This record gives sequence, structure tokens and C-alpha cells, in this order.
Amino acid sequence: MLSFVAQRVVKGVIVLLAIVVLNFFLIRLAPGDPAIVMAGEAGASDQIFVKQLREKFGLDKPLPEQLFIYVKGVATLDLGFSFRQQAPVARLIGERLPATLLLTLTAFAISLVLGILFGTFAARFAGTFLDTGITVFALIFYAMPIFWVALMGILLFSVTMDWLPSFGYETVGANLTGLAHAVDVAKHLIMPAMTLGLFFMATYTRMTRASMLEVKRLDFVKTARAKGLADAVIQRRHVLRNALLPVVTLAGVHSGTLIGGAVITETVFAWPGIGRLMYDALLQRDYNLLLGVFVICSAMVLIFNLITDLVYRLVDPRIEYAT
Amino acid sequence: MPKRVLLGLLLACGLTAPALAQEPKTGGVINAVIQPEPPGLMLAMVQNGPVQMVSGNIFEGLLRYSPKLEPLPELAESWSVSEDAKTYTFKLRKGVTWHDGKPFTAADVLFSMEMLKQTHARARTNLAQVDKIETPDDYTVVFTLKQPFGPFLGIFEVGSMPIVPKHLYEGTDWKTNPYNNAPVGTGPFMFKEWQKGSFIRLVKNPNYYEKGKPYLDEIYWQIIPDAAARSVAYETGKVDVLPGGSVENFDVPRLSKLKDTCVTGAGWEFFSPLAWLWLNNRQGPLADKRVRQAVMYAIDRDFAKDVIWNGLGKVATGPSASTIKFYTDDVPKYPYNPAKAKALLKEAGYKGEKIRLLPLAYGETWQRWGEAVKQNLQDVGMNIETIATDVAGGNQKIGDWDYDIAFTYLYQYGDPALGVGRNYISSNIAKGQVFNNVEGYSNPEIDKLFADGATATPDSKRKEIYDKAQKILVEDVPVAWMLELQFPTITRCKVKNLITTGIGVNDGFKDAWLDK
Amino acid sequence: MKQFWKSMLKSPSGVIGLIILLLAISVAVFGPMLFPNSPWRMVQRPFLPPFTLSTVPLGTDALGRDVFAGMIFGARVSLLVGLVSTLVALVVGVPIGAMAGYFGGKVDDALMRFTEFFQTIPSFALAIVLVAILQPSIYSIVASIAVVSWPPVARLVRGEVLSLRTREYVQAAVVTGQSNSWIILREILPNALSPVIVLASLMVATAILLESSLAFLGLGDPNLISWGYMVGAGRTVIRQAWWITVFPGVAILISVLGLNLIGEGLNDALNPRLSREGR
Repeated sequence: MLSFVAQRVVKGVIVLLAIVVLNFFLIRLAPGDPAIVMAGEAGASDQIFVKQLREKFGLDKPLPEQLFIYVKGVATLDLGFSFRQQAPVARLIGERLPATLLLTLTAFAISLVLGILFGTFAARFAGTFLDTGITVFALIFYAMPIFWVALMGILLFSVTMDWLPSFGYETVGANLTGLAHAVDVAKHLIMPAMTLGLFFMATYTRMTRASMLEVKRLDFVKTARAKGLADAVIQRRHVLRNALLPVVTLAGVHSGTLIGGAVITETVFAWPGIGRLMYDALLQRDYNLLLGVFVICSAMVLIFNLITDLVYRLVDPRIEYAT
Repeated sequence: MPKRVLLGLLLACGLTAPALAQEPKTGGVINAVIQPEPPGLMLAMVQNGPVQMVSGNIFEGLLRYSPKLEPLPELAESWSVSEDAKTYTFKLRKGVTWHDGKPFTAADVLFSMEMLKQTHARARTNLAQVDKIETPDDYTVVFTLKQPFGPFLGIFEVGSMPIVPKHLYEGTDWKTNPYNNAPVGTGPFMFKEWQKGSFIRLVKNPNYYEKGKPYLDEIYWQIIPDAAARSVAYETGKVDVLPGGSVENFDVPRLSKLKDTCVTGAGWEFFSPLAWLWLNNRQGPLADKRVRQAVMYAIDRDFAKDVIWNGLGKVATGPSASTIKFYTDDVPKYPYNPAKAKALLKEAGYKGEKIRLLPLAYGETWQRWGEAVKQNLQDVGMNIETIATDVAGGNQKIGDWDYDIAFTYLYQYGDPALGVGRNYISSNIAKGQVFNNVEGYSNPEIDKLFADGATATPDSKRKEIYDKAQKILVEDVPVAWMLELQFPTITRCKVKNLITTGIGVNDGFKDAWLDK
Repeated sequence: MKQFWKSMLKSPSGVIGLIILLLAISVAVFGPMLFPNSPWRMVQRPFLPPFTLSTVPLGTDALGRDVFAGMIFGARVSLLVGLVSTLVALVVGVPIGAMAGYFGGKVDDALMRFTEFFQTIPSFALAIVLVAILQPSIYSIVASIAVVSWPPVARLVRGEVLSLRTREYVQAAVVTGQSNSWIILREILPNALSPVIVLASLMVATAILLESSLAFLGLGDPNLISWGYMVGAGRTVIRQAWWITVFPGVAILISVLGLNLIGEGLNDALNPRLSREGR
């Protein structure tokens, strides 16, 4: 077990390193650099000024040297300095990470719970119009652009009904504490989390349905049925439990997609998370910050994958770990 | 004939007069929108629009300007100009303190000039005219110029020349100075808190030197990245102030009709944003003057004004906005005339060579405008391909002269010597520069006119020179002028006196109050 | 083949999906011929509501352009982006998966590390960065969607190949000295195809959505009109002109729904065993 974890950690570090190197070069391929952006914003520029900025940012050094400096920093858990925002990258990400975690984990829970629920039902009535109906319903939120669903939500629940706040993480200036604060944050969280969660629900619905159908055909279920166990008991005790394992594993693989989807949700709902930070950093060519976000997100995906694998392994020790 | 002027106090009285009509009330909190989120608040280090809008309330300049662009006192109480128009003496206000309690003196001004020369591209250009700066005592600053410079009194506004605290910056590494993230100024509001991605909070400076001001207790600048969501935030009452440009133009008429909503286009007079298309004069079809003129005739600028900008702003007649000094409309005119454009193209021998158009990546309004212009140009037979880039990529391409037509808009800072000449004089042609003369227009006569115009005295002489320059430029069409832009500020009507000066969008909260 | 159609037509999902897809494709192919109005031309006053003028049945947008024309021409671009990027993803993913599964050992390990690498980076974030770097155009959009969507294909194919590799007929081919590429192409891949087809139908749908999300962030191709582009462009005026976004939005909804239903139908028809590797 321990050696399995160690092996995975080593592999993870290698993948992470590759991500750092690849993105380091990718980002620098984009036209324009931070000095151009900042000179542009000042509304004037001359060559000496831009050159000074580049020197200040360390962009005048040869690329391999810049890469070396960066990797050395990452190795000592130093993600560098954002010249654009005049603050250490680790701090900028640290300020925003909790909001994204809260959003994605809530959305993840929503999508998983609803997905399994609908998937189970669909499998139960596989091949009927009810099956199709459930599938279509689950797909509706998947089949609309996520920013469109978000906007509709705002119009309905904030403008028309005035039930939920349309933007932000908390009521600014309200200075709430304790339970009142938690309720306030929860109110702000509902719409973004639902938007993101409903989008991913379709995936889990489909997976659960498929997985259930497969397990149903397996021998032990047939045996159970032959033994005369009630259908509901079979569903709960045998089918669902076994069907969920692959769903959980795939959820791990999909965590990266979830974080990516947060970019748009965070933009529409002004949720102060890391996805929006990434997009702003990209537009402003804030190299260190963008790389930092990539490193952190990728590390999160790796950790999440490891956790789901471990859970799987604990539940079902027969599983062989080829990859 | 140069003569001494001393009018600071006089104008200050004139300014406060309308405010007396209704007695300002003290207290209250205002929620405003800021878009996009500023990268920092240290005005000496970063200067994009949002930074100026927030930090203009924290920092101050020596002067501010009336809507007619006359200088008004701020940190400088009064000023005088020598007979030869080369020496400017500023008397500083006494009893001003920084937000940390340290006194403000002439040493801060001197230090700021040194710092800005290295960190502020525009201040650096403006200060190039200065030979030396002296501080005979703690409350006097004397600028000696190399030669007379007509617009010199126009460079001291807070965004162009913010005064920074010497005691916090001297001898430190400016880029990593911790006060960059918690700026200390002399202004009416103090920085309190910044939750990245959420809001910036400013609080009243209780020791502000103007007694009774500011009236407001707090300002929250809310950060909402999506334009549609910003409209909703205003509609649902979560914010009270939408500064210019924070909602899409198409949304302005609807928001203006909401209950208790006031809209003003004022407060931009000093900046006078003018939108135009860079035309690459060096290569391809646009190197031919007739093709450039065809572009002017081909584009329906009234449509752009009425439909894309909702009737706000004004069709530009030439290189100067009508709100800045020495503007003239006595220039050749280019009304919408596709037939004439076609004829000119034919005359120039244009045979459908591909022309690359770079729109401005500033949101939906600018995208729609790019699409409309493309359609206009295609209608007269030009073969246009739109190149999409983000702001950084676009700046890079324009700076590298890798474009044919490109959208832009620039501030004019009240005087042609500050905000117009820079785009047309040949000494400003240099690869890698984002703005300046990126179209590559080179005309010795224009070079001479702008050089003379900056140093000539008195103003009547300057006017003569600039009239001539404008005529020549409009005939040559080095760039295609589109619109004088107006960015409406939308507020609840209970927010009073928000915009009183020509730089009002940036320093407005100094005078603003809330009618509860 | 007959068997396939039979079971496909037995599943209600599949039938509905097929009908929708055929409709969308015929609009994309024939629409522009029947309604040659340019979707970029300003033809009427801006914000004209739908169903008021027969010349512009779905109204006009913020510049007075025909929304109906946009729908017709947009179908072409949206479906093309979906199909082409999926095709590219298959061209990349299938060989990688097949090689990993067939050769196993070090090759498998290396290829799977490579795949994992792409799955670790949040996919949408990677797509955004790629489009921004290459600058938005139809090519960069297709390329970046393909880059983020091939890993599941590779994993799926690898799993299939891995299990087929041990079948007797494959072993027989190895023993008779057939070349590796012949075995992969002729013996293994044809039998691994069904789950790939299912996955591909879903990928087309996802690609259409991805394109619209990119357009929302201002990363669309400004020379081509697509449904995603229309929804993104119209969303800021949704309060005064719902029709600009609702019609293309519904078009996306229906197409994506159709493709997913086809996926379900195909699944039941082609592959009762159903793979876990698909998304």
C-alpha cells in the first residue's frame, strides 16, 4: 500500500514537472509580454521604458535561465513573484483557492448525488420512454452553454424573484460572523454551484446508468435474484454498490474538467476563485501567476486522483493497478 | 505678452458655488463597480483606467482641472509663471498629512518626480521638458523648463503626476514595496481592504485638509467581471455607481430608464477619448493616400455613433477632439459616401489585395464595431480579414507594425502638444512602441508645426499653428478618425456631486455626497 | 449491419437523436444555398423582434443583422467544428491507445504517462491558453479542442486493445508472422470500434459546447459566425432582445441533445457490454 502511494507520488511529481516545462514555453509563445501590456495601459511607451520593465521582470535573461530559475523556485515551493500584481504568486493563489475549492466540491457533490440518483432510475427502466425522459432531462443542463444557464439563473432568481444574490462570495460590508456568515456564503454559493453541478450531472447519470446495466448482468446478481431476494434489496445491496466503483474512479479523472469549468462560472457570478485568476493572468501575460495556477490545479487533480484510487483500492482490493 | 497669473483661489471658489445650492449631507456608504480589477493601486507604478478610478481618491496631484480644463488647486495652493514662460513656481498647501500621519512637503514632490521618471511612461515624456526642479523651502517647488512649453500647467493631474510619499519609498525596492498593496496617499479616502476578486474598500480620511470633506464614510468598489452581471448588480440595487465603460453600450438606454437613475457623460473632458483606426501607411494598399481617404468615405460613422454607441459621443472631424484646446472644424470633410470610396479605390488601382483588420478586445461594443466597419469596407469592395487577438497580442502586433487597419482609442489630455502630436510626428516612429506614431506617417511640415506649437506663445499663435496642422492631417488621413467617445457614468440620483471636474471620473468622490 | 440498424431503431433515444442530427446536417449543408443572405450584413433596424417581418423571420441583432441567416450559416460552422475536432482527436487518440494496448510494457507506460499528462491539466484551461497563444481562428479552435479531447479516446482504445490482444484469433495472427501494423489495423481495431463510435458522438457534442464557451470568453473566430458566437455576442443584450441568444441557444441545446441521444442509442445497439472508459 505504502509503496503504491510512493510510486504514485513520484509519477505525479514527474507529470507535474513536465507540465511546468511545457506551460513555461507555451505561455511565452503567446504574442505580447507583460511589459507590452503594462506600457500599453500607461497610454504611452518608449523603448527604454519597455526595456526597463523587461529587465525588472527578468524577461531579458535567456529562456533556459528563466526556466531554471522558475523550476528551482517551484522545487522549494516558491511559485515566484507576480510583477503585474506586485505580490508573491503563492499569496495571490492562496487568497483565491478556498473559494474555488468550495465551489467545485459543492458542485461535485451535487453532480454526483443527482447523477447517481437519475442514473439508477434510468437503469431501472432501461429501454423505455421513461429512460429516455430521464436521460433528456439530465442532458438539458449539459446541452446548454454554461454561461447561458448561469445568466438565466441570475435573471430568474436574482432579478425576477429576488431570492438569491447575483454576484460575489458574501455580502460585502455586512460584517457577518458565525452562522449568519455561513448562511450568507451559502446563499451566494447556491447558483454557481448548481450551474456547475447540473452541467456535470449528465455525465454521472450516464455513467451510473451504464454501469448499473452492466453489473445487473453479472452472475452474482442473477444468483441473488434466483435466491428470491426482493428487487429493491438487490438494487441497493448488490447492484448500486458495485456499479458506483467505476463512477467514483472516473470522477477522479474528471476533476480536471470540473476545475476548468469553474472559469466560466466564476466569471459570470463574480466568484473570487482561481479560474478567473487564471484567465486574467493569461490576458495580462502574467507568466508566473499563470504557471502557478496551472501547477496548483494540476497538483490538485493528481491528489484527487490518488484519493479516489485509494478509496477504490480499499473498497475492492482485487483491483489490479496496471496504470 | 506673458504676464503673471495667480488664479488658484478664485477658481476654487467658483467650483464650490454650485454645491452650495443644496447643503451636502455627511455620511453614507457607496457601492461602485470597477472593471476590470486593477492590477495594483500604486498609481505611480500602474496606470490603467481602473487603477486611476480607484487610486484617484487615495492619491492627489498638484492640480486638478475644471471641465473647461482650467487648472484648479489641489496639493498646490497657487502657482505662477515667469515672464519668459520657463519657470513655474508652485506654492504647496500647508498642514497636509499623509494617511500615516507624516507631513507632506516639497521633498515628497521632488521625490515623486524622480520616481515617476522611471515608473510612469507618460510622466516621463512630460518631464522631459524640465531642466531642473528646486525646492527653496518646504512649501515651494520651482520647475525650470528647457524652453517654453505651452501645456505645462496641464500635466499635474493625479493620474498623470501622482504625488507619492517619500518616507515610504525612498531607498526601497519600489516593485516589491509592501505599500504597493496598501497605498498611502494624501487624498480624501484611505485604503482599507482589498479582497482580490471581490472588492476594494476605501474609508474616509478623517484628517483631510479640506474641512468637512469628504462627505462619504466608505466606498466599496465591487469587482464583477461579466458585463451582463454588472447591469444586474445595478438593477438589483447592489451597486449605486456604474462608471463609464462598465456596462455595454447596448444596455445604457435600458438602465437610464430605471427609476431614480441619473446619467452623465461629464467628467471625461480632460481625457477626451478619441477613437480611430490605425492605418498602416508603410505598405500595401493603405500606403496610398486615396485608399486611406476611401476608408474615411466608406465607413458609416453616424451608424456607429447611433447604433453602436447609442447616440453618445460625436463623429470626429480630425485628429483633435472638439473638447480640447485649439480644436478646429475648418478641415476637409468625409461624409459617408460609398460611391466616392469606390471611385477612389478604383483610381488608386486597388485590386482586392487582402487587408487585415484588428478590432479592439475590450468587450462586445468594440467587437460589434469591428464587425460593422468590416462590413462597410467590404461593401465598397475591400477584401477584409479580421484578425482576432486579445489586448496583449493586439498591442504587440500594432507595435511591430504587423497590421493593416487596427482599432484604438487614446486620451488627448486637453492639449494637442500632450495628446495629439505624439501620434503624427516622425520622431515617434519606432518599432516596438505600442502607441505613438505606429501608422508610420512622416511629414516634415507636420513635424515642424507640432514642434513649434508646443513652444509658441501666446495662445493665439499656437492656435494658428494647430489650425494648419489639423488641415494638413485631415487631408492626408494618416489614420481614420472615428468618434469622440463618451462613456456615460450611471448613478442613483441620490448620489450628488459625483462629477464636478474635467477629471471627475477619477477624483469624483472627493466632493460626492449621499442624499439619504 | 442490418442487426445494428434494427437495434438502433428499437431504442427511442437513438431514433430521436438520429432525426435531430439529420435535420441539423441538412440545414448546415443546404441552408446556405437556399438562404444566401450574408449573416454579417446590416439589413434592418437593430433589435427588430422576431415574427414581425417575413424577410427577417427571427428578427435582427444589435447591428440589424438577420438572426435567421446567422442560424443557418452558424449551423455549418458549429457542426464543422464539432466534427473536425472530433476527427482530429480520434486521429491522435486511436493510434496512441492502440499502440499502448498492443505493445504493452514500456511503450504502454510511456504513452499512458503522456496521456495522463494531458488529463492532469484542467482541460478547459488548457484550451483557453492554446487558443490565446495561437490567436483565435477556426484552426486554433479546432486544434485546441482536439488537444483536450483525445486522452479519453486513447484510454478507451487502449482498454479495448488490451482485452482483444489476448484473443485467439489475434494470437493466431501473431504466430503466422503477420506484421504488427497489419494485426492492429485489420484484426484489432475493427473490433474495438463500437465503443469509440459511441464516444465520438459525445465528443462532437462536447466540442460544440466548448466552442461556444470559448466564444463567450472572446476567443471565437471573428470571420465565421457560429451558434456559440451568436449566443456569446447576444448575452449582454438579453434583457432587451431575448431572441438574439435564445434561437442559437436552442439550436445548440437540440443538437447536443441529439448527439447524446445518438450516443445512448449506439451504445445499446453496438456495445451491450458498454465501456467504462468513456466519458
